[in-house]
Amino acid sequence: MPHPRQIAFVIDLNKCIGCQACTVACKRLWTSENGQELMYWCNVETAPGDGYPRNWAERGGGYRDGRLAKGRAPAAADYGVPFRFDYEARLFEGRRQRVRPTPAGSWSANWDEDQGRGDYPNAYFFYLPRLCNHCSRPACAEACPKDAIVKRPEDGLVVVNPDRCSGDGACLAACPYGKVFLDPLTRIAGKCMGCFPRLEQGQAPACVASCTGRAMHVAMLDDKAASVHRLVFEWRVALPLRPDFGTVPNVFYIPPFLGPLEETADGGEGAVPKIPESHLVEIFGPAVRPALATLRAEMATRQQGRPSDLMDLLIAHRAVDLLGRMV
Amino acid sequence: MVAAAGGLSLRALAATHAPAPNGYRGWRQMLRDRTGFDRRTRGAHLVNCTGACPHFVYVKDGVVVRSEQSADLPSFAGLPDSNPRGCAKGICGVDYLYGAERLKYPLVRVGERGEGRWRRASWDEALRLIAEKIVTAAVRHGPDTISVFCPGPAVAPVAFAAGHRFAHLVGAHAHTFFDWYGDHPPGQTQTLGVQCDTAETADWYNARLLIFWGSNPVETRIPDAHYMVEAALNGTRLVTISPDYNDTATKSHRWLHPKPGTDLALALGMAEVIVREGLYDPAVVAEQTDMPLLVRSDTRRFLREADMVDGGAAERFFAWDRGGQGPVAMKGSWADAAPPAEGSPFLGRDTRGFPDGTLALGALDPALEGRFHVTLRDGRTVEVRPVFDLYKAELLESYSPDKAGPLCGVSPAEIVRLARDYAAARPAMIVSGAGINHWYHGDILLRVLHFLAAITGNVGVPGGGVNHYTGQWKSVLLPGLTALAFPTGTARQRFCQTTIWTQVHSEAPSPPESAAALRHSLETGQMPLYPKGGRAPRVFIAYRGNFLNQAKGQGHVLRTLWPKFDLIVDINIRMDTTALYSDVVLPAAHWYEKTDLNMTEEHGFLVTTEPAIAPLWEAKNEWEIFRLLSAKVAEVATARGVPRLVDDEFAWERDLSSLEERYTDGGRLVSGEDAAQFLLDHYDPAPGEPPVRLAGVRADRPRRLLSAFTSPARHDAPYVPFQYFAGLKKPWPTLTGRQQFYLDHPAFLRAGLELPVYRAPLDADPYPLRFNTPHGRLSVHSTWRNNPQMLRLGRGGPVAVVSPAEAKRRGLADDDWAEIRNDHGRIVCRIKVRPGEPAGRVTMTHAPELYMDLIEGGAQGVCPIRINPTQLVGDYGHLVFRPNYYGPSGNQRDVRVEMRRYTGPIPI
Repeated sequence: MPHPRQIAFVIDLNKCIGCQACTVACKRLWTSENGQELMYWCNVETAPGDGYPRNWAERGGGYRDGRLAKGRAPAAADYGVPFRFDYEARLFEGRRQRVRPTPAGSWSANWDEDQGRGDYPNAYFFYLPRLCNHCSRPACAEACPKDAIVKRPEDGLVVVNPDRCSGDGACLAACPYGKVFLDPLTRIAGKCMGCFPRLEQGQAPACVASCTGRAMHVAMLDDKAASVHRLVFEWRVALPLRPDFGTVPNVFYIPPFLGPLEETADGGEGAVPKIPESHLVEIFGPAVRPALATLRAEMATRQQGRPSDLMDLLIAHRAVDLLGRMV
Repeated sequence: MVAAAGGLSLRALAATHAPAPNGYRGWRQMLRDRTGFDRRTRGAHLVNCTGACPHFVYVKDGVVVRSEQSADLPSFAGLPDSNPRGCAKGICGVDYLYGAERLKYPLVRVGERGEGRWRRASWDEALRLIAEKIVTAAVRHGPDTISVFCPGPAVAPVAFAAGHRFAHLVGAHAHTFFDWYGDHPPGQTQTLGVQCDTAETADWYNARLLIFWGSNPVETRIPDAHYMVEAALNGTRLVTISPDYNDTATKSHRWLHPKPGTDLALALGMAEVIVREGLYDPAVVAEQTDMPLLVRSDTRRFLREADMVDGGAAERFFAWDRGGQGPVAMKGSWADAAPPAEGSPFLGRDTRGFPDGTLALGALDPALEGRFHVTLRDGRTVEVRPVFDLYKAELLESYSPDKAGPLCGVSPAEIVRLARDYAAARPAMIVSGAGINHWYHGDILLRVLHFLAAITGNVGVPGGGVNHYTGQWKSVLLPGLTALAFPTGTARQRFCQTTIWTQVHSEAPSPPESAAALRHSLETGQMPLYPKGGRAPRVFIAYRGNFLNQAKGQGHVLRTLWPKFDLIVDINIRMDTTALYSDVVLPAAHWYEKTDLNMTEEHGFLVTTEPAIAPLWEAKNEWEIFRLLSAKVAEVATARGVPRLVDDEFAWERDLSSLEERYTDGGRLVSGEDAAQFLLDHYDPAPGEPPVRLAGVRADRPRRLLSAFTSPARHDAPYVPFQYFAGLKKPWPTLTGRQQFYLDHPAFLRAGLELPVYRAPLDADPYPLRFNTPHGRLSVHSTWRNNPQMLRLGRGGPVAVVSPAEAKRRGLADDDWAEIRNDHGRIVCRIKVRPGEPAGRVTMTHAPELYMDLIEGGAQGVCPIRINPTQLVGDYGHLVFRPNYYGPSGNQRDVRVEMRRYTGPIPI
C-alpha cells in the first residue's frame, strides 16, 4: 500500500556529469567519521560497470513472487579497503619513498570510472548516481529482526534507528541495491535518510543542493505541480532502477537519450544509439522504450523551434524548479 | 494495556526533548546536530581554476566543518539558472585546512632539496634568511637575478599583487604563466590582436549548433557543463570533436574523432566546403576581415602605402575597389592611430576610442577575388591579389574533403556535413580547449577556427564565436590590480617570458630552428629574458603556483636550473612539489582564513572569500608575508650599509631602507582587506552603479562586475566578446585593423604560414604513442590530486589510460604497472584500460605531485620545451611581447612515448 506521503527523487542521467559533488556533499555531512570511509550513502558510478559495492546488482535481495528473496551482504572486497596516505613521513620526516595508497587498491567507489563497455569507436558509458531508493516496499526494513528500519509515514523516508540496530546485517543482504552499509567500528547500519534534518530546516538534501549539473529533482510524489510528479506520472519518462527487484523504488531516472548514434564502418552515422537499448531495458525495464521515444520526440520538437513542456521541465530554468515545494 | 501503552509512548516522546542523564538526546537529534553551525562566511577556492564558484563556509565550535555552494548567483532572464555552482573539489576545500600536507610553521631545509627533512624556524629567522639572500643577490648580482613566480591573478588578486608589488619595488623579474602553461591561444592573438576573450558560459545556451573542439567541459568545466546539456534540451545540436570518446561526447548528438593533432585538416576541410560552396557571408568578409586586402605576388607581402607613395605609411593597406577599379586604402589600420604609450595590457592596440562605424564600407565594393595590377613608387607594375583569392586557391587546391579526410581520419562525407551544418546554423559556436591548443601548431588551428566564425558572421553575436576556455586569465579588476601589483607602472616592471626563461636557464636542448629563432628574437629585443647578459637567476620565490611540478622539461629544470638558485622560497598552504624542493617554506593562510577576491572569464560575478577562522598555527596571508619580508629586507639592507640601490635599466634609485613604507603606501595598504578594497576602489562603476565596498560584497549575493574588454558591458545578458569591432565596427586591434588571417612577417613567410595551412603534429620523438595530458575531473592541476577523498574516488594514485588494443599488444592488463618513456624522461605508473581511448595514445591526467604514487618520474618529465618560432615574433603591429599577451606557448601534446611492462620492484 502506498504511504500517505512519499518523498521522491528524479535524477536526469542526461544532465548528470559524473562530477561526484553529490557523493562528496553527502559524505562530508553524514559519513566523515573514522570507520565510515567505505560508506557512500550517495555514489555516482559509471554504467555499464561493476558499480559500488562491486556487482551490487548480482547479490539477490528484494522480493521474488511477493516474498523476500534471499540475498548476500556485500563482502569487504566489494567495497575495497579505503586508501590511506602517509604524507607526513614523505613531506616532513624525510622518508624517501613516494606516498603509496595503503593498502594498494583492488576496488573503490568509482574504480571503473569512464570504462564502460563496447569497442572503439562504439564504446559507451553513462553516469548513474545512486542513493537509497526509499522504497515503497523496503526489503531492508522487512528483513530487520529488530525493527530498526522504519518507513516514516509522514514522508516515506526509510531511516535506520541506530538505538535499535544490532548490526546483524540482514538489511545489507536484503537491499538489492547495496545501499545499506554497516559501520565496521560501531557495527551499526547506516544509510541515506533523505537528509530529513535539512528538510526540516527548509533545505534540499545535500545531494540535490550540491548538484551543479542541475540533474536532481526532489518533491513529494503526490505534489502534482512538482516536476517529480509530472515527469513520473504525466510524461512517464522517469523510471525506477531495476524494477524487477520488487521493492518499488521512489528514486526515478530519466534514461540517457542524448548521445551519439553508433558509428558505421566508414565513419558515418548509424541508426541506433551507442548505448544499446537492451542495456537500458535490463536496468529500467521495458517501460524505458516508450520513455526514450517520448524524450526523443520532444527534443525533436524543440529542435524544430516548437515549445516542449517536457524539455522545459528537464531544463529547470530556475534552481527552485527542481525542488517542488520542499524548500 | 492500551492506557499503559499510551503512557509509554508519551514518556518516549518526552525523552526526545529532555536530554538523558548522559546528554544523549536521541538519534534524530544527533543527526540534526550534524547540520548545525555557529557561523557562516563566504568562501572561495583560490586555485588555478576557472570556476570562481561562490561558497558558504560553516564553522562550529571554532572548527570549519564544511563548505557548500552558496547557490545565490543572479541569473539572466531567459537563460537557465547557474545555481548551484561548484564541484566535489570545492566541497573538499576544508581538507587543506586540516590535512597532513598543511604547512604550519616556517620551515628551513636540513636535508637535500626534495628530501623532506626540515627544521622549524621562527618567522623572524626565516624572513631574515630570505632577506639576507635577497640583499646579497640584489647588491652583488643585480636585482634582476631575483625571480618571483605566481600565476593566475584573477583567482586571488590580493595574494597575486602582494608578491608582485614586492618584486616591483625590489626590482625582481616577474613571470608569465598563461603562455607557459600552454593555455594562452596564440592563434587568437595572431588573428584578433587580443590576449584572449570569451563569452560567459551562459551564452552557450544561445547557440543553435555547439561544437566542443578539444574541450571536455563535462570533466574540466564542471560548473558550466549544465548549459551544454540544457542547450541540447532546448534544441541545440551538440558536436564533440575529440580523439577519445570523452565525457562530453557522451552528451553530444555527434562525435567526430580525428587522429590526435590532425584537427587542423578537419577545420581546413570545413573551410574548403564553406568557401567552395559559397556558404559564407561576403559582406561580413569584406568588412570585418583582411580578406579583401591586396597582397603583392612578387614579395608575398601586403601592398602598403609606402610601396606606392613617397612618404606613405608602411602600415596602411589596400583593397581593390570594384567600383573605381583601383586600389583604395582601408580605414582603421595601424597607421590610423598610434598605439597609446603605455599600451593596453590585453589588446594589440586600444582601438576602442575609434568612432563607431569606422570599418563600415559605405559605397566601397572591395574585390575578394581576382588578379590586379598596381604601379609602385618606382614605376614598376606588380600583380596583387586579395587575401581571399589566395586563400581560396589554397583551400581548393589542398583541402577538399577528399584530401583533408585522410589527413585527419574523419570521413569526407562527415566533413562536408559538419561544414554545411556549421554554415547553416545561426548562431553556431565553437568552444575550443586545451585539447587542441596545447599542440606545437595549435595556433594555426585557432586561426582557421576564427576564419570559420568570421566568414559565417558568427563573431560578436550571442551564441556564436570561438570561445577558448583554457587558463584563468581574465582579471576583471585589471586597473586596480595593475596599480596594486606594479605601483610605478608596468613599464618599470621586469617581466620574463617563462617558456623562454625556463628553456634558457635550464639549458634544455632545443630544435635547431627554434634555437636560431630564439637567439634572433632575444638579440633584437622582440622577447625578453631576465636576468640579462647571460647571468643566472639567484633567488626564486614561488607561491600560488607549483612551478616545478608543472614544468615542461622537468628533468632539465631539476638538474640544471634548480642548482643555479642560491635560495628557493615557497609560500604555500600545503607542501606541494615545488615547496618540497625548496630551501625555505612559509605557511600561507588557507582560503578560509583570509580575505581575497575571485573572478573568472566564465561568469561576470564577483566572488569573495573572508576569514571563517583565524589562520591556524603560524600561517599568515600573503599580503602580510610580503609586508613583513619588505620590512626585513629594509632592516637587513640598512644594517649592511646598502640602503639604496641604483637600478640602471630604469634609472631608478631603489630605496631598500623604506621598502615597507612603499609596500604599504605609507600605511594605507597594511592588511589584505586594505588591498582588496584598493582593487575595488579602482573599479569603474557604470553610471548609476554604487561603488563596491568589501563589506557589501561579503554581505550580499555575488555582484555583477561590468567589464568592457572587447564589448560594451551589460547587466541583463551574458557578456559576448568582440562587439566593439564586429557590431560597432571599430577597427580590430590588429595591424590591419581587421580580423587578420594573413601575417606577412618574415618569420611567418619563412615558415610558409602567412596563411593558416596544414602542418602535421611534430613527430620528433621516435616512439609510437602520443602522450596526452588533459585536465582531470577530480583535480585542478596538482591541487586536489593528493586529496585522500578524491583519490578514494579513483584508484588511489595517478594512472595512465590506454586502449585495450595498446594494452594487449604490450601484454598489459588493467591496473598493471607500466613504464612510459622517451628520450626526455621516464614514468613508472599504473595503467587503466579504457575502451573509449583511441589506439596510438596514452593519456595521463596532469599533473600529479612528484611524491605521489608513481614509482618513478612525473607527467611532465617526458615533455620537452619546444618553442614555435612564429610565437617569438615581437615586432609586428599587434604581435609584440606583453606579459601573457603574446609569447611562445609551453605546448606539450606532440610528445611521443613508448610504453611497456614494468618489471622492476614495486615498493610496498
